[in-house]
Amino acid sequence: MDRATLDAALIEAHGAGDKRRLVSLYTQAADAAEAKGDIGACCFHLTQAYVFALACGARQAGALHARLLAHGREE
Amino acid sequence: MTVHATDLAAVTQPVNTARGLPSPFYVDPAVFEEEKKLVFFQNWAGLGFAKDVPEPGDARPISFLGQPLVMVRDKDGVLRVFQNVCRHRGMILIEKPGKIQRAIRCPYHSWCYELDGRLRTTPHVGGPGTNRHDDIKRDELGLIEVRSHEWLGVVFVNIDGQAPAFEDYAAQLLARWAEFDHPAYHGGADSSFKLEVDCNWKLAVENYCESYHLPWIHPGLNSYSRLEDHYHIEQPGRFSGQGTTVYRPMPFGDGRQFPEFPGLSEKWNEGAEYIALYPNVLFGVHKDHTYGIVIEPVSHEKSIEHVEIFYTKAEVTGDDWREMREQNAAMWKEIFVEDVFVVEGMQKGRHASGFDGGKFSPVMDSPTHCFHHWVATQMQD
Repeated sequence: MDRATLDAALIEAHGAGDKRRLVSLYTQAADAAEAKGDIGACCFHLTQAYVFALACGARQAGALHARLLAHGREE
Repeated sequence: MTVHATDLAAVTQPVNTARGLPSPFYVDPAVFEEEKKLVFFQNWAGLGFAKDVPEPGDARPISFLGQPLVMVRDKDGVLRVFQNVCRHRGMILIEKPGKIQRAIRCPYHSWCYELDGRLRTTPHVGGPGTNRHDDIKRDELGLIEVRSHEWLGVVFVNIDGQAPAFEDYAAQLLARWAEFDHPAYHGGADSSFKLEVDCNWKLAVENYCESYHLPWIHPGLNSYSRLEDHYHIEQPGRFSGQGTTVYRPMPFGDGRQFPEFPGLSEKWNEGAEYIALYPNVLFGVHKDHTYGIVIEPVSHEKSIEHVEIFYTKAEVTGDDWREMREQNAAMWKEIFVEDVFVVEGMQKGRHASGFDGGKFSPVMDSPTHCFHHWVATQMQD
């Protein structure tokens, strides 16, 4: 998914309040940023994904927290 | 205190010579404001019902005397009450009843809290993508928990956190009704109703405390529950009410009766008691059901009576018993509705400039006087 498509999908998911979709999309954005070596952007998107994972009880919360922790961005 | 002290001195006299609370206690919003702190926040007040958050993750926001609170059932099943605000910018956290999946997320900047109130994460608090900062100490920034206690299905709160433990606060009533310390089961939607009344909350309590009015306001009771079958209940400083010695529930059409609580003593074969636990919770206990009424003080001249009925066994909450539950709820609702014109009439009467608080019957009004004495004592502190 290219950046423009991802952004459009994020806007749509926000509008629909679809938290599980937001977890997935923000994780994809984080992965893409990490692949480019942009750790700041990666952690921003991981944070977004983590918050929505907490809010909807998604099982990914633990893994997202671990990634943020590994980057020194979480407790 | 905006009411002259001598007015309250008259209230705390023995019932034979006492006067009732002066009219500003019913019609003056300034007194209502003072009551919030001195009567409600310093004591154990009724907030709501535990049945409204039955499962882990259930949350129910409640505005109580202007305080935004939220009842939450945490993942271990513990019912907790929090101030319903984020520790960051004071945003209201939960706007409507619902299920919290895992964390309470502030809708503003998404600070997230565990169901037990611990602060779980603070997104971007140290800059984009950084969720920590040395000056953000999560263990100091959990939700503000309000002391709470559940008893007979009612959730009590002590807002200022300084009252004795509930078990001590209500010790005499807990002992009096120890035989009802069994699980009770809410009857469901048909066992739940509320009455909005145009009166100060105290008038609803006062009317509930005494049996004096029964033959006049509830004439239907005269045939089976006469005035002389009732007795006063008074525990100065805590509760008052009335009891009856002739509680005889009518069998349903097919001869069935609700099952009884196990192990009740003989007193309860035909006994029932109706007690106001100060400030704002009214209970009724019978061998086959109990009810709780939380009086929500909306304003100095408006109250809502939240009525919930509970039964002795889970099976009674099923469809087989629905008609009987409906019949029982209708019976209680009819009685409570009969009281509405009285409490609203007394509220209107409190606007009479010459009314002096009223003269009690030394014999029949002592439970009401017991309540007035307590309110006056709280307001003099």
